[in-house]
Amino acid sequence: MTKPGKYLYIVLIALSVVGWLACTQTRQPCETPLTASLNIEMQHLPTDTATIFVDTVLPGAEFIPISHLPNKGPDTAIYPQGTNFTISLSPVDTMCQWAFTTDSSHFGFDTMTFYYQRQVQFISNACGYVDFYNIDTVITTRHNIDSVHILNKSVTNNVNTTHLQICIHPDYF
Amino acid sequence: MSIQRIYKYAFILITFSALVTFGSKSVYAQATDTTSADTTVHKVKKKETAGRQLCIGVNLVRPALNFYTPDQFGYEFEWDYYTHNEFYLAGEGGWGGSWVNYTNPTLQYTTENEFLTFGFNKSILPRDRPTDWDMMFIGMRAGVAPVKRSPVSYTILDSVWGNTPDTTTKGQNFAAVWAELTGGMRVELLKGLMAGWNFRARFLLDAKSFSELSPIYIAGYGRGDKNVAFDMNVYVSYGIRWRRRNSVDTSALHK
Repeated sequence: MTKPGKYLYIVLIALSVVGWLACTQTRQPCETPLTASLNIEMQHLPTDTATIFVDTVLPGAEFIPISHLPNKGPDTAIYPQGTNFTISLSPVDTMCQWAFTTDSSHFGFDTMTFYYQRQVQFISNACGYVDFYNIDTVITTRHNIDSVHILNKSVTNNVNTTHLQICIHPDYF
Repeated sequence: MSIQRIYKYAFILITFSALVTFGSKSVYAQATDTTSADTTVHKVKKKETAGRQLCIGVNLVRPALNFYTPDQFGYEFEWDYYTHNEFYLAGEGGWGGSWVNYTNPTLQYTTENEFLTFGFNKSILPRDRPTDWDMMFIGMRAGVAPVKRSPVSYTILDSVWGNTPDTTTKGQNFAAVWAELTGGMRVELLKGLMAGWNFRARFLLDAKSFSELSPIYIAGYGRGDKNVAFDMNVYVSYGIRWRRRNSVDTSALHK
């Protein structure tokens, strides 16, 4: 290699090192959901004798966590996104309760109790750990809820899986 | 990772290196036999006149990165040995570690590891003269690093139900094994003193080792949470040479 070529080569090395150092970053941004979401689909039977469930839009519906924490509860209520709700399970216990109403201005609440197992999962250095869950049982009162079906027991941070199907009592309509 | 897997990968690498080394020799031997059988073809067997070279160097990028990234450190050395036909046995070694001390959510642990890589470089730049050691090369490596990870302290954030209290898991020892493709350049600046750079693409061979927690940095490999890691190194090295021959041996000329 010629002498000017060697000097150019050294300059290129120095520039490359500066570029490489500029790309160095400490904690990366977390781009993964940090909460395992329990996705719920609302359905109902149009009549008492019907056998096929149809999707139910409940614009006035509400889920409220029954939390023992101070200042928690109504301010963390979950409202519907179309026929679907996304709620979460408690990472500090193996059971939790949510209060549910089809219309908070006219109807009473049902209490849904979830029993589950927790499994700590490492996501990444950026996001740390989250809890994933495996649902054992769901127990509910039956004011407005007719039945609850577990479609998928494994609750992870995958937002595209529907875990629970709640069928509203035909009398509501 | 079990010790059997480490042996398996080491065996694959040694077998591959041996195939490359002895394969090139056998091709060379075949060419010689053909020449001796066919006396009408005039071929010159070019003898290896460059001699031998053992080159030992240090990676300058790592100390610079240590300065820029206070949460990780590493030191890296390299060696290569010229065998024949522009083929070099090569390897790297070093040590390093990292300190993760993140908040919101909390994640705290440290790692330490040593590492060794072994493989070869093949120069693709024709040699101008026997004393010309400038090279542009491609190569392959296999690397192994026994990693020691401290206990991990973490919290899980939850705005509805409340954050989990600080939790600590046990520490873990495991091995990282990877394959590596490399390419770069090296020039002789002064007699025996050389400088060069290379790019590396590293492929983690057993990512299951990291299923519990992917370390943020593994010296010799890079980011442990990536199955493919890219790196650039700048080396300054010194070459020790011996057994140089001064002329081309023409004894193999055939009439």
